[in-house]
This record gives sequence, C-alpha cells and structure tokens, in this order.
Amino acid sequence: MAQDSSRSGALALRAGAIDGFSGGPGRFARLDLLGSLASGRWLWTAPVVAGLLVLSIYPTIFLVALALSNSRLGRPFQSFAGLNNLLKAILDPAFQAALTRSIAFALASTAVELVLGVAVAVLMTRLVKAGRFLMSLILLPLMTPPVMVAVAWKLILAPVGGLANGTLQKLGLIGEPISFFGSAAGAWSSVGLADAWQWTPFVAILAYAALLAYPKEIDEAAMLDGAGPWARFRLLMLPFLAPSLVSIALLKLVIGFKLFDLVFVLTYGGPGFETTTAAFHIWRLALEQFDAGRAAAETLLFALVVGLVTWPLTRWQHRLEVREA
Amino acid sequence: MSRTLERGVVIAAAVLTLVFFVLPVAYLVSVSFKTPDDVLSGDFLPGLPTLANWPKAFEVTALAGFIGNSVLISLIAGLLTVAVTLPAVYATTRLGYQAKWLPGAVLSSYVAPPIVALIPLFYLMKACGLINSTLGLTLLYALMNVPVAFWLLGPFLRQVPAEIEEAAALDGAGPVQTFLRIILPVVSPGVLATLIIAIILAYDEFLLGSALTFADATRTLPVGISLFQGERLVNFGQMAAASLAGIAPIYLLALIGQRWLIQGLAQGGSK
Repeated sequence: MAQDSSRSGALALRAGAIDGFSGGPGRFARLDLLGSLASGRWLWTAPVVAGLLVLSIYPTIFLVALALSNSRLGRPFQSFAGLNNLLKAILDPAFQAALTRSIAFALASTAVELVLGVAVAVLMTRLVKAGRFLMSLILLPLMTPPVMVAVAWKLILAPVGGLANGTLQKLGLIGEPISFFGSAAGAWSSVGLADAWQWTPFVAILAYAALLAYPKEIDEAAMLDGAGPWARFRLLMLPFLAPSLVSIALLKLVIGFKLFDLVFVLTYGGPGFETTTAAFHIWRLALEQFDAGRAAAETLLFALVVGLVTWPLTRWQHRLEVREA
Repeated sequence: MSRTLERGVVIAAAVLTLVFFVLPVAYLVSVSFKTPDDVLSGDFLPGLPTLANWPKAFEVTALAGFIGNSVLISLIAGLLTVAVTLPAVYATTRLGYQAKWLPGAVLSSYVAPPIVALIPLFYLMKACGLINSTLGLTLLYALMNVPVAFWLLGPFLRQVPAEIEEAAALDGAGPVQTFLRIILPVVSPGVLATLIIAIILAYDEFLLGSALTFADATRTLPVGISLFQGERLVNFGQMAAASLAGIAPIYLLALIGQRWLIQGLAQGGSK
C-alpha cells in the first residue's frame, strides 16, 4: 500500500506516449482502431484528445512556424526569417539571464518548499487533532489566487505602511525602512516568500497523505531502542517517504517553472531586470513590444529547457515506479 | 524531561506555522479597515477602523462585474473539465480501450508552462472570434485543467473493485450504463474533489485571462485586481478590501468542500 504512493500516476510523463505506439503489432493496432471507430469507443476520449490538439499540438506547430517568420503581434507571418529569431534568442544575454533565473527559481523553490512541507507534514502527524485543523487552514493559501497572494505580501513588505517595516522600526531594529523590492536579493526573497506561502501546503498535504501509511510500530520499536527523534526521522521516516518525495518534487518543479503572477504583481520583473524570468521576458516581448516571431523562438527554447530540467526527475520517478510494479 | 522538551518544540513549531499561514490574510483584513493615514503606520491593527474601503472598492472599479465573470466562468469551466475528463479516465483505466498513450500525453502536457501556449492561443482565439469573450476563456480553462483532473481522478477510478463492473456486465449493462449507474456513484467523492479543484484553478488563472481580455465586461477577478495596481486604486485599504471580496467565494468553496479536497489531493499524491 505504502510504497504505492510513489506510483502517482501523478506524472507518468515518462515515455508513456512512446510505449503506447511501440506496443502492439501495427496491423492489429490498425484493426483495433477501425473497430473502435465503428463501435463509438473513441467518443469516450475524443474531447480530451481535442483538448490536446488545441493546447499542445497546435501551439507547438504554430510556434515553430511563427519562430521562422518575421511577425508582429498584430500582423503575423510577414516574411520568412529562417533561423534569425532563434539565433537572436539564443545569443541574447538578457534572455539567457532570464532562463537562468527561471531554472534557479524552480530548483530553489522546490528544494526549500520540500523541506518546509515535509516539516509541516511531520508536525501535523504529531498534533493529531490540531493537525487536522492545521491541514484545513493551510488549504487556504493553496487555494488563494496567486494575484491576491502577491497583493497580500506586497502590503506586508511595502516600504511605507508595510507590516514588516512597521514592526521592525517599532522594535528599533532598523532606522530607515528597508526597500525589499529595491534589490535583487530582496525582490527574489519576496517572491520566494510568497511562493513558499502558497505552495508549502501542497507539499505538506501530499507528504502527510504518504505518511498516513507509515508503520507506527517501527517508530515505536526504534524509540525503545533509544533512537532520538532526529535519528528516527532521518533513518526511518525519510527513506519511507523518499519515493513519494520524488513525485512531489517533480510536480513542484513543474509548477515552479509556471511562476508568473507573483512576479507580475510583486516586482514586475524588477528592480531593473533582476526578477525577469523567461516567462516574463517572453510576455513583455510579445505583449509590450509585439515581436511575436522572436517571442515564439524564445518560447520554444523555454519549453525545451523546462523539458530538459525536469527530465532527470521524470526518469527517476519512472524507475521507482517500475521497481514497484 | 526530553519528552516535555519535544512537546514544547512541537507546540512552538505549530504556533509558528499557524502565524505564518494566517498572517498575510489577517493583515489583508486589517488593512481593509484602515484609513489612508492609518495605513502609513505599519501597525498590525487599524487605529480607528473604517468601513469606507469596502463600498468604495466596488465603486471605483467594476469589482462586482469581475467577481461575477470569475464565478460564472470558473463554475462552467470546472463542470466542463470534469465532464470531459471523467469518461476519458474511465475508458483508459477501466475499459482498456485504445489510446494507452493518452494518460502519458495528457500528463506531459501539464509540464509546459502556460506562457508556451499564450501566443498561439492568442491567434486561435482571435481567428475564432473568441478573443475578449467570457465564453472563450471558459472553454480554454475547461481544457487547460484537464491534466490536473486526469491526475486527480485516476486513483479514484483505479480503486473501484473489478467485481462491481463484472456484476454489472452479468446483468447485461453496457459500458455507458455501468459508468453512469454503477461507477459514478462509487467515485463521487473523487469527482467532487476534482470539480472543486478545477473550479478553483479556473478562478485563480491570471496569465491567459489578462492577455485575452481587454474590457471590464470580460475581465476576470485576478485580472481586475492586477489592474488596480497603481492605476485607479492607489489606496491600500481599498485594494485589500477588493482582494478579500475576490478571495471570499473561493474560501467559501474551500471550507464547504475541505473534506473532499483533502481526500482528493491525498489520493492524487498517493498512487
């Protein structure tokens, strides 16, 4: 039961697609296809397949075409551009920096929130009844629209009228208010703080669910043998959780690359371009400078990078899944 | 002695966690009752609470319209997401139909950040006459959340004992009948959890909403709130009130559905 947790059909992003194609002998597959067409079986999945066409296949093809053209947002496909857009995107130091920031944020936020989330999950198992209450409570940050999460943290961190500066000044810890959004480190910390507030509960709830299957007897036996709480966590609970954590980490990494709203409201990519992620860079290029062709090229590169960074974790998760099956 | 110490650490950690997760919303509530002068103090509580921010937030912006749009779009989109995903998950997990590649393909499509689809969707919606329309956003959100629904529904359907289906088949029920009369009632908690999560995801979406709408009549709440930034509402108190008014429907839904929500997330995370 317990081990199953890692099998999260969660992201069976693995080569599921490829397995399916290479699976059966072609002829039978074709017959099967005809059979299913006749029986109306395809109707069960048709809307989802249509969704994939609209949201994955079409955008990919369209982006490639757009990237190969000189296109303005209002007037696409003006002329053939060859690899111009792609080369410009690859060689643009600003975009390179934006990509690096996206990767760094996805990795760092995953690491931090995994640690915090597991800590909260363990805490909830210790609290029993109060733990259920805590769980209901941390559900709320997870559900809050990210734009509003950003507004709330902006109010707390504002230089004038912010709770953080107000409190620090009252305690006499600082003389002048700190401008959290005025430095790269401050701005990233603010975005990270808001992100941790929203997504730590996600990790905590999933880790808590996995911990429900944790055999208490082992823990108690180890305690009788004189193992302290930290040793019990590190040597028993953590290995038990590990397969689930790989799945959770993969999910959080994917979510980390989706960061946009918090940056938009909290920092608007600033100060300067310090918090401009790849997504934000592309957004400005497309919707403020209307350079659709180059934005498409950057989008393709970004998608490629996301795939490459998540790939090792995907393989790892797949291996764990196979081992248990 | 060490037991009491451990207990102390647990309680301290619990209080700290509680404060961290409550603080931003609590401060939002507090600021929504502050006068502009009072905001400058940076105190946690308002000095002399005022109710003025709340009606004002609805006056200066089309807040009620934004909330209405968001509620309508997210409810319909959520229902559509579930209606589209559930049969597909059932067909691929239980009926052993064609398309073994489908779950993998659907879940992988979730990996791409929404920005990837933004520009192509912009042109598609324009070509279909669905740009700047609530219908367009509704359809888009319905499809966009299919991968999450797929992930959440999978474990629920896999857990249905095969005997139930076999019994139904012996009674001469076809797949559609079995699905509607037998399976659906059994997995209803999972369906409910998925529905709530799909609604919330649609309600919370910002990036596509902001790029594909450009009038107050079609804007959703997160888009509306993001516009308050600096423009019409420089006033922190009004911004806080507007944000809270917008969060309220979601928190209400989360509180009503928390039992299913937690179960749904927990199942999704485990197998």
